[in-house]
Amino acid sequence: MRRVAIVGAGGMGTAHADCYSGMQNAKVVAVMDIRPDAAAALAAQHDARVFSSAEEMMTGVDFDVLDICTPTPWHLDYIKMGAAAGKHICCEKPFARTLDECREAIKTCDKARVTIFVAHVLRWFPEFRRAKELIDAGAVGSPAIVRTTRAGGFPHAWNDWFANVEWSGGVVLDMIIHDFDWLLWTFGPAERVFARGLAYSGLEDKDYALVTIRFKNGVIGHVEGSWATPGGFRVCFEVAGDKGLINFDSFDAAPMVLSRWAGEAGAQGVAVPSSPTAVSPYFLELQHFIDCLEAGHKPDVTPQEAMAAVALSLAALESIRTGAPVRP
Amino acid sequence: MMSFAHMHATSYAACVNQIPEAVLVGIADDNKERGQDMAKRFNTRFFETYEDLLRQDIQAVIVCSENTRHRELTVMAAQAGKHVMCEKPLAATIKDGRAMIAECRKHGVKLQTAFPCRYSPAMVQARQAVMAGRIGKILAVKGTNRGQCPGGWFTDTSLSGGGAVMDHTVHVVDLMRWTTGAEVTEVHAEISNLMLHENFDDTGILSLQFDNGVFGTLDASWSRPSSFPFWGDVTMAIIGTDGAIWLDLFAQKMDLYSDRTMRSSWDYWGDHIDLGLVMAFVNSVAHDLPVEVTGEDGLAAAGVALAAYESAQKARPVRLEELRS
Repeated sequence: MRRVAIVGAGGMGTAHADCYSGMQNAKVVAVMDIRPDAAAALAAQHDARVFSSAEEMMTGVDFDVLDICTPTPWHLDYIKMGAAAGKHICCEKPFARTLDECREAIKTCDKARVTIFVAHVLRWFPEFRRAKELIDAGAVGSPAIVRTTRAGGFPHAWNDWFANVEWSGGVVLDMIIHDFDWLLWTFGPAERVFARGLAYSGLEDKDYALVTIRFKNGVIGHVEGSWATPGGFRVCFEVAGDKGLINFDSFDAAPMVLSRWAGEAGAQGVAVPSSPTAVSPYFLELQHFIDCLEAGHKPDVTPQEAMAAVALSLAALESIRTGAPVRP
Repeated sequence: MMSFAHMHATSYAACVNQIPEAVLVGIADDNKERGQDMAKRFNTRFFETYEDLLRQDIQAVIVCSENTRHRELTVMAAQAGKHVMCEKPLAATIKDGRAMIAECRKHGVKLQTAFPCRYSPAMVQARQAVMAGRIGKILAVKGTNRGQCPGGWFTDTSLSGGGAVMDHTVHVVDLMRWTTGAEVTEVHAEISNLMLHENFDDTGILSLQFDNGVFGTLDASWSRPSSFPFWGDVTMAIIGTDGAIWLDLFAQKMDLYSDRTMRSSWDYWGDHIDLGLVMAFVNSVAHDLPVEVTGEDGLAAAGVALAAYESAQKARPVRLEELRS
């Protein structure tokens, strides 16, 4: 049984806690948030202890795993705190705000001999996993050009931190890093990146980026990331190779659609498509991490890979800033 | 009609035959066999030489030669005093495009570029919505024009001027210019040949900067496999401050699964956009109105494709004004 302490009781902290509660070999024993009410509410659901200071949590409760779900700029602080206490670490993506922070996190965890796992959940989404399997099996021949889309509205959370590009890195660092990780996993390292976007536009509640990646193997990638698109969250990918094409659109993969005339707050006659799976990708991801700890295996996402995804995001942001292609 | 090298010529010929105000007087083609076949198919006369055709009592011609021969045939027609509709891309070099525009102006004839996508009712509606401010201020545009390699002279760059990027850049760039009312100032492109592994490009992603601050990308590729159910696509997403518009100009289709062909395909039932294009040209000629899609429009779009090649070669963004010098 791995005892988990969660830092950050926001959206992701809540989702992670729900996953652990369904596992045979993990249990949430503590929740810390600088917002006492949020920490207390989540802790109550899991019969866990509540803390409003991470330092107190480190010594105040016995646990094995620190799960970090705070805004990005605080990841490194908690990683260092957890490693110093000998805890294994699960850290939400992006790994950290800068490459120096990623390096320091890796060094710290190596030195403390603790496992660090960065939660790149796309690798456990069945459609993305299956697409990689097909590509690896040669279903489309040799890949030539790949496109992804991840689009929705602007996220709002604690202190509106997503809106602060110095904190969140906007849609490029916070959201399409999902696609970057999947692309690097599937097509190998990137040679250069060129991007245009709204990260530094100063527009309120809008971020949008179009990123072109040239991979070292010659494949051309195009990534659309949007926090400026109404009409529901949408994910698409397409991989064209010299022997075929894979095309996915989450709007088409909707085995269940619920539509109401009106009434429910927020529903207002809008159809809400759903693509449920028996086991959520987040559960599979965290179960993998816990199982790796139990078995003494290395998790499938290495911190070096997580750092490469950050490097690609930061290169795209630099390209947006400078207007020039950037080598990640 | 001058040359049937480009397959769109068959569609334009059928359109001319459908328009009461127009008569297809004849077809000239340096490929005699093709020209004769087409003359028979479209119930018109074949002329051995372009000069013979231009001596007839005609007001206008449609040029559908290989890209690098557009200039020669357009100039020939202009000198004979005939209005010209020229297949896209207008020209494979800036110099050729400029010469075509200048020559047509000098001889007082109209020059229209064949951009039929402007006549898609969905496209017209989208542009009206943008103009009416329905999605606020435009922030970004994202387009695709993906198809299959047509083969033949399209892959001989001495006749085509380039591969997929030359073939598939101009339609969507024209739609973007038409919708945003802005000009492309800078182009970055990644271009490759990993679909067909030949000595011409088959895939390209262009990043575009417009002079009003809007940015965008365009996928100009021959990336549909032979097994694809349709020839390809023309799509555009327009992201605005108050909303977004998604366009898929050939989405008016139904799925057809046939055991007779052992294929599944998309059967398009939407409007025939070439007819709108040819009708507009006939209308401009018949009533002496300005053409709706100009030679300058054609050249502006072709310039973006040329800038894309230069960007890919230099591995840096290229400003359109660099090409002009």
